[in-house]
Amino acid sequence: MPISRRAFLGGAAGAAAVGGGAWATLLGDSIEATRPTAAVPTTSVVTTTTVAGGEAAVATGAGMSVTDRVLVVLEMSGGNDALNTLVPPVGGYHDARPQLAIDDGELVVLGGTDYRLHPALGGLVGFWNDQTMSAIAGVAMPQQSRSHFQAMDTWWSGVPGSPSQTGWLGRWLDLTVDDERNGVPDPLRAIALGGGSPALVGLETMATAIRNPADFNLMTQPGTDTDALIAAFLATSAPLVNEPTLAAAQQAIPGTLDAVALLAATSSDIEDLGYESNTPGAGRSAVELLDTAARIIGMDIGTRVLTVGVSGFDTHAGQLDNHDALLRDIGTALEQFFARLDESGDRERVMVVTTSEFGRRVRENGSGGTDHGNGGLQFVFGPAGNGGVVHGGYELDSLDNGDIPLAIDTRSVYGAALEWLGGDGAADGVFENAPAFLAV
Amino acid sequence: MQFDSTREAVAFLARRATWGLAPGALDELEALGVAGTIDRLVDPSAVGIAEEASAWADWDFTYDRSDGRASRAQTLEAFDRWMTRLQTTNRPLDHQLAWFWHDHFAVSFQVVRYLPAMLDHLELCRSLGRGDVRELIRQVTTDPAMLVFLDGATSTGESPNENFGRELLELYTVGINNFTEADVRAATVALTGWVVRPRSGYKAHFVPRRHDDTPQTLLGVDGVHDVDTTIAAVTSSPACPVFIASKLGRYLLGDIDTTTIFDLGSVFEAADLDISALARATLTTGVAGHASPIVAAPLPWLLQSIASTGARVETPALVGALRLLGQLPANPPNVGGYPGASTWLGSSATAARFTVATDLARRTPADAPALIAAREGDWARLADLLLRPGGFSQPTLAALADLDRSVTVRPGEGALALALASPDLLIA
Repeated sequence: MPISRRAFLGGAAGAAAVGGGAWATLLGDSIEATRPTAAVPTTSVVTTTTVAGGEAAVATGAGMSVTDRVLVVLEMSGGNDALNTLVPPVGGYHDARPQLAIDDGELVVLGGTDYRLHPALGGLVGFWNDQTMSAIAGVAMPQQSRSHFQAMDTWWSGVPGSPSQTGWLGRWLDLTVDDERNGVPDPLRAIALGGGSPALVGLETMATAIRNPADFNLMTQPGTDTDALIAAFLATSAPLVNEPTLAAAQQAIPGTLDAVALLAATSSDIEDLGYESNTPGAGRSAVELLDTAARIIGMDIGTRVLTVGVSGFDTHAGQLDNHDALLRDIGTALEQFFARLDESGDRERVMVVTTSEFGRRVRENGSGGTDHGNGGLQFVFGPAGNGGVVHGGYELDSLDNGDIPLAIDTRSVYGAALEWLGGDGAADGVFENAPAFLAV
Repeated sequence: MQFDSTREAVAFLARRATWGLAPGALDELEALGVAGTIDRLVDPSAVGIAEEASAWADWDFTYDRSDGRASRAQTLEAFDRWMTRLQTTNRPLDHQLAWFWHDHFAVSFQVVRYLPAMLDHLELCRSLGRGDVRELIRQVTTDPAMLVFLDGATSTGESPNENFGRELLELYTVGINNFTEADVRAATVALTGWVVRPRSGYKAHFVPRRHDDTPQTLLGVDGVHDVDTTIAAVTSSPACPVFIASKLGRYLLGDIDTTTIFDLGSVFEAADLDISALARATLTTGVAGHASPIVAAPLPWLLQSIASTGARVETPALVGALRLLGQLPANPPNVGGYPGASTWLGSSATAARFTVATDLARRTPADAPALIAAREGDWARLADLLLRPGGFSQPTLAALADLDRSVTVRPGEGALALALASPDLLIA
């Protein structure tokens, strides 16, 4: 049963009661604890604004329209070690990595290729076998940098070399806002989970950025007329003032209230998922964030693009254990994500593309880790029939300064993702002269 | 930004260079004038404000636990001493600079884990953070927390680890496009051989057999082979003063034009890389009209709100608020430091700001001038107490005026919460 966005938000306003006084509990929480305690029963209700604009028609099965499709970009920040994620079938790998090479017997065999998967990703084999999962090895941007920040800038922008103000997804959102939303930007059309993604930055587009779905809420003190206080908070956002920084602070408010109304109905209890990430670094787990993404997709509220940001992949030291935990989080998250989409009947609407700003050096360093490299690895999970293939490759015999050379330009992967979102030619105007290889 | 009055100019200085002012303190700064306020911020010793010891100096730290990790109580005490110092210091700019350097080096307790080493690192950022930048960077290079954070402690001549060498160039001294991959390699090799020994109290040691002493060429300087020659090479690059002036300039002033950046770089170079001289020039040029609005990060927003309202927030609550707002001190999310405006304008930070503002209003004492002003609808007075003597924006003013006084049980609390959560308070 399709639910329109307006109907959902209207319903959520009544249902999404949040806990007065809960914050006090949260504040009393331990420094060592990483999760807030659950909200206590409510004294307050979240209200919401509605955003004008057409409502995406929802159809299922054979009647699915291209505008029902969703793209999820899973950003693995820090520079994921490609070689230990999708392991090449050559001896040079073991020679370069006396400590870090994974034994053949532990690796997961993939049909139709000699490449093998890290054992922590074993749960993804089913996707490989049903041909919904592909790997793109040796993927990079031209003029790929070994700097996290320069590399992330170009991966986000999709523009090699010079800095760009907009991201590759932001430009697509800008281009399509007229056709899909009658020209009215809708902050829920693009949602970033785990923190904002510069890939979503457009000139007109505003995305919603949520760091941690579990504590994303508005709370007030007991005895407060929360509706009135939230209405007043919303009132500070209009009319927009001339000074652009203050105006930006105003503009953040309506989208936040919309998103709170949405997420209050999707927030998951991490303990229910039976998995707690021990990912190093301050980020949220992929399991938690992709679970939220699946719930949002299931609501049919016109969200076309989700980014999911997870961190910790900068494995300069102690890589074996850290990388295992990171990949286990990714693998578990994707398995549970697709299982949830299968339940809700949304699987056919969704493509997932993983990104990471670079691959790591082929040769391990002296700290049981790897330094910043060049060519990396992306996975694409998409419509049945196109998967089960490794595109490109690592070319370990022709290393570029000790790094995996560029075999495939990541803009061609992006192009495939945009074609998924918008049909033929969607990438036009988003990339100039980007090569294409991956037909959808 | 242009300032119509001395009061607005010194309020600007207070928002950018202090951790908040108690009611009445803005009057004192106005009486000192702009030049007097800058003098007092940059050189408090000249007006008789004593030097401070480390916030952790008199803490005889020994582990409560046997597993090499600090207990919850010890971690809380460390935060308590730090946050209390920020809220009570008479030398606020010292601590703003310390925070700037903490953000600059971005050493994370999540990685370092050993609490005394983390606190020593933070103290380095404070005690050397307003002096000769060469000495600061020299000390940080062999600081145990940094050696652990960026893997210098496991980088050997035989298997060098580039993590620190790269960030020394890219993030700490000269910036992207001002070095090559060969420079990364050279700095890395020259800095090999340092270790941190847990059993000797996490002190740094140099182990010659782990070091590669082969002379390197770094940024065009030959003969670089150890810490001193490495730091001399990177800090003598003409890119270094400009890079650091640009970063401190953006921290204190927001977006600034290229001419201002190069002017500040020249001042810094002429002052022999003295950070206080750079800070003085930066604040002075900001007050003269070269500053831009900044989206306030959670820590200054929270501490300045507490100072203005007198809200009683014990340390566990403070830490909880900072966690919710997305900026837990000593825990920058990655080597780039704390996030910037796009994060603080995001939905999570916006929702958290509202929630924390309602709590701060509840924690504000009944006799606090800010609560009285909010109760009486004296919006000009309330804005002034919140370091916005120019008043609130029209939309915020209208929202305050329209808000029903009975929205909270205690009159005025709702308006105070709204003012603290408003877009106006997010912009420094």
